[in-house]
Amino acid sequence: MKPSKAVRNGARALVESLERAGVDTVFGYPGGNVLDVFDCLRDSRLRFILNRHEQGAVHCADGYSRATGRPGVVLVTSGPGLTNTITGLGCANMDGVPLVVICGQVELNRIGTDAFQEADTTGLTRAVSKHNFLIKNADEIPETVAQAFYIATHGKPGPVVIDLPCDVQRAATSATYPERISLRAYHPECAASARDVATLAKWLNAAKRPVIYAGGGVIAADAARDLTAMAEKANIPVVTTLMGIGSFDTAHPLAMGMAGIYGTAAAKTALEKADFILALGVRFNDRVTEGAKTSRGVKIVQVDCDPSAIDKNVVVTMGIVADIKDLLTVVASRVKTASHPDWLSVLEALKPIKPKYVPLHRGVIMPQSVIDAVAEATRGRCVLVTDVGQHQMFAARRFPHSRPRRFITSGGMGAMGFGIPAAIGAAIGGAEGPIVAIVGDGGAQMTAEELLLAARERLPIAFIVMNNGTLGMIRQMQKRYFIGDYSNPDFVLLAKAYGLASARVSDPEKLGAAVAKAVRAKKPYLLEVVVDGEATV
Amino acid sequence: MKTTKSESIYRLNCFVENKPGVLARIVGLISGRGYNIQTLNVGPTEDGTVSRMRIDVLATDRVVNQIILQLRNQVNVIEVTSRRQ
Ligand SMILES: Cc1ncc(C[n+]2csc(CCOP(=O)(O)OP(=O)(O)O)c2C)c(N)n1
Repeated sequence: MKPSKAVRNGARALVESLERAGVDTVFGYPGGNVLDVFDCLRDSRLRFILNRHEQGAVHCADGYSRATGRPGVVLVTSGPGLTNTITGLGCANMDGVPLVVICGQVELNRIGTDAFQEADTTGLTRAVSKHNFLIKNADEIPETVAQAFYIATHGKPGPVVIDLPCDVQRAATSATYPERISLRAYHPECAASARDVATLAKWLNAAKRPVIYAGGGVIAADAARDLTAMAEKANIPVVTTLMGIGSFDTAHPLAMGMAGIYGTAAAKTALEKADFILALGVRFNDRVTEGAKTSRGVKIVQVDCDPSAIDKNVVVTMGIVADIKDLLTVVASRVKTASHPDWLSVLEALKPIKPKYVPLHRGVIMPQSVIDAVAEATRGRCVLVTDVGQHQMFAARRFPHSRPRRFITSGGMGAMGFGIPAAIGAAIGGAEGPIVAIVGDGGAQMTAEELLLAARERLPIAFIVMNNGTLGMIRQMQKRYFIGDYSNPDFVLLAKAYGLASARVSDPEKLGAAVAKAVRAKKPYLLEVVVDGEATV
Repeated sequence: MKTTKSESIYRLNCFVENKPGVLARIVGLISGRGYNIQTLNVGPTEDGTVSRMRIDVLATDRVVNQIILQLRNQVNVIEVTSRRQ
């Protein structure tokens, strides 16, 4: 495509640049300081999705990105539009999800005057984004957009914010989209040294009780297959983090399940008793290490594309800054086949990954059984999106996760309200269905407004509201339960009001059929499942 | 100045792109981790597009290493070195 030399306004230059960057969908919400861009969106190739809240727009773009691997794009207005994106940005930033978020701004000469709907965008988003830009000249627009996509998707991915004053949107420019991106100071390319590769192979071959500890970085690097090949070659058990779910098939004999306070016994023991841990794309989150800063006697090799992830929370024996896929490819040929029978039998004894539970009250649905019903109805083949709380941990632990980008959850931030919009974003991204969103009754009310979008776009999503009548995770954590006055709307009516088909089930005998109906509906469907409020993770 | 056993003053020497917002970003990165900047000195270099920042922080070597790695991760940071004072 020949870059156009024509003069047009900044808004059009922006939209053209988004097209050049390969964007197909933009989520967002309009406002006074971004109207010129909206005018241009109208006759562009971009599909614009009108959310009902800017937080929903960012979570949608985030779900779109997690499901497809492509960066998500958001367009919002200045001031309140921007401040409403903060939670979504923080969530994407923590979990390393590439987004480009563009927001309008007041005129350049009014910045800093407390103008109507002015907010200090770069100041507000600094701590919740990977990078941000304030564009002061329309000539900078194409180059900045190109850089924003590059930064969002290279190194550890993350959200990038572009602040675009409304007079810059209206200013004329003939600047064209760059053929090549040149960033003076940011060079995230990385590769392991031959020596590090040799040391890693040597330690792996010598290990008696090796474990691979796989995180979200494996999925971001598109290295799930390489991980499986490596684990199989030397019979190394694999533990994942919450974010690493999907990087290794939980039905695989070497799968030990998820680490962390809500993790499996096999995973805990594997990490505790290992003499060698190969940590891939993890940051040793405090939910897993429970504050331990150093490792006792065990050799740890940490591989990450982000140099600052190495040693961040746990001091490791060796850190390798490399692309995980590249590294696994070169190491695989040097790793000797091994069987580790004693080690594996110790861990085998601690399985199953799916914990047993005892029904607490006769005739009341246990939350665990809802996840099992979804697994059964979909035969494990669905995109499973969660909100945050007990239901999230049940979904993480019990579902047969087999492929990357099919379990979508807010890990680092744990942002309630993520589930409904993220599922919508995944559906809009074209994720192979069915798509099932598991949400708590608390989180469902944080972004319920986006249900309207699911109905309008006729998206094949089953929203399953696990209604335990309480903020379950909080009830479980509090010594003396107190959350003030808590009550719920009628979720079935709420869904109807938004235009979704809906139903309620509270009888354990009817659960299977109700869930099957919801996930096979191939249309937006909300199923409220009344579950036992006393269950704990 | 009161220092705990393992903490000392480190001087970070940063070369950064001379662009608006870079100073705030770097200061925010350090103060956002709860560390106090003891001295801060920013000035031009011969290359007008590059600024030099000298930042003294009181921290352990582990924390300083983390700060350096995170500074290097910044899109506008060209080079960072450190010296224990
Ligand atoms: C935005 C936000 N606010 C507060 C919290 C703290 N929090 C974590 S889990 C939880 C309870 C969630 O309740 P619900 O949505 O009903 O799910 P359940 O735990 O019952 O499955 C709360 C309040 C949070 N994670 N996110």
